Amino acid sequence: MQDQRSNRAGKSLGGRTLAYVLMIVVTALWGAPILWMLVTSIKPESEIYAYPPTWIPDAPTLEAYGALFQRFPMLTWFRNSAVVGILTTALTLAVDALAAYPLARMQFPGRRVIMGVIFATFLLPYELLFVPLFLGLNSYGLVDSIFSLTVPASANAFGVFLLTQFFQAVPRELEDAAIMDGCGRFGFFWRILLPLTKPGLATVAIFTFVASWNNFFWPLIATNSDETRTLPVGLATLVGGAGMSMKQSVLMASAVVATLPTALFFLALQRHFVRGIAATGIKG
Amino acid sequence: MRSGMTLAAYLFLSPYLALFIAFMLLPTLAAIGISFMRWDILGAPEFIGLDNYRQIFGDPLFLTAIKNTFYFVFLTAIPMVVLGLALAMLLDQKLKGTAFVRTVVFLPYVVMVSTVGILWGWLFDKGTGLVNYYLTTIGIEPIAWLKDPHWSMPALAITTIWWTVNTNMIIFLAALQDISEELHDAATLDGAGPWQRFVYITLPLLRPAMALVTALTIINGWRVFGQAYVMTQGGPEASTFVIVQYIYLTAFQNFEMGPAAAAGVVLLLITLLFSLAQMKLMKAI
Repeated sequence: MQDQRSNRAGKSLGGRTLAYVLMIVVTALWGAPILWMLVTSIKPESEIYAYPPTWIPDAPTLEAYGALFQRFPMLTWFRNSAVVGILTTALTLAVDALAAYPLARMQFPGRRVIMGVIFATFLLPYELLFVPLFLGLNSYGLVDSIFSLTVPASANAFGVFLLTQFFQAVPRELEDAAIMDGCGRFGFFWRILLPLTKPGLATVAIFTFVASWNNFFWPLIATNSDETRTLPVGLATLVGGAGMSMKQSVLMASAVVATLPTALFFLALQRHFVRGIAATGIKG
Repeated sequence: MRSGMTLAAYLFLSPYLALFIAFMLLPTLAAIGISFMRWDILGAPEFIGLDNYRQIFGDPLFLTAIKNTFYFVFLTAIPMVVLGLALAMLLDQKLKGTAFVRTVVFLPYVVMVSTVGILWGWLFDKGTGLVNYYLTTIGIEPIAWLKDPHWSMPALAITTIWWTVNTNMIIFLAALQDISEELHDAATLDGAGPWQRFVYITLPLLRPAMALVTALTIINGWRVFGQAYVMTQGGPEASTFVIVQYIYLTAFQNFEMGPAAAAGVVLLLITLLFSLAQMKLMKAI
């Protein structure tokens, strides 16, 4: 039983050897760039361009990190990204869960139309929205604000779609019993449905946060000061133009700092990521 | 009872619907509307019919952007689907170490696009980049990847495949795990070899996943922007200048909202067209 899947490809010794060779190649190709980023960020200046390249630094140092935080408002960008990520996630989770409940479990006129319109936006290139969004927010003086970076992003339909599927799996009898007991619909939603679907809520929270953390194009348009600029937009200013002369160790240190929160998040909660993608295939 | 349920349903729905209408539905309609108007940030909007569309299709830069973006989709679509499936099949086996390799392949997913661009911008550097270093060790002359208009787009494609093929891999992995073992075992008993089992069992059962992966890959391909913006700024010689960068340039640097909205509508139509064609194709196979 346990070993069933091995029959599929790696039965023979030759097949298994080939599989392991391929796995090593894949690990090298996908892992090397990330490792290179880490290694370079702790190299002293003299070693960055060593030929042949060195994978283990002779004299590791954190000076690139010092230079990074000294020369650029990294802490401000980092804080902005964290605030935007947390607020977007909280708002998205709240409105998505509320919306998914009736879509998953109630019969009402307009349900099919609403679901059709909401989920059709999966096919929408969001870049189309940015001109009118910018003009609209600009007319209310809301460009370059935390509002413009959080609230519009919460209209994304990914969480509604995912939670609708999770909510549908909860047995009907539980709801009938809860409502008979005078729990009410909101009571059922709050005290029974949400606790039973924690994995789904976790998946939506993680995806929303990572998408927000990595979001690039909209913050590039909607911010124009370091007071609101998020990490992806701030980091993009390090390259091109003035940044061309920037030491690679400093650039790689910026890459490590930017990746660390989401990488740790991912390593700790890997199965939620996998479930989220497998269920919908929507990136972010 | 029934109207009570309707009221409750809409109460639960209303916060999300308000956000959806304000920030998704209305902007979509507004984008289409603005594409038929003259709208500089200052002056009053004015209806001008198809003039914006005439303007962008008369602009060689927009035509270059369409051509470049199509080239990017062409370079990424097939490798992203084939490699995604190959990785999934390799890592679906019950062998020691597959979980680790899956984690390594998935890790780039959480790296933000600016970081991907900064990292690969250096890896592809002609003189000091790792890519050329390892290519020269096997006897290939150094290539000026990001400075040569012939190689800049392939370099962006390679970067993108490294960054996002993991999404396709995960979708395929989930689909592979739904295929029952008995089918494979029965086919093996009937004398089917690995290749026959792949063609007659695995592939047909993977059709829904294949459709999803292909559609996502193509739509996301047409939306490419961040990598090009950070790694090459659209150059050299506009060889990586893509549609979304045209929208960005037109709207937020030249402040011509009408033509920018028109370019956005063209992007929408292209992705819809490709999704429809792809759906038709999948049905036909």
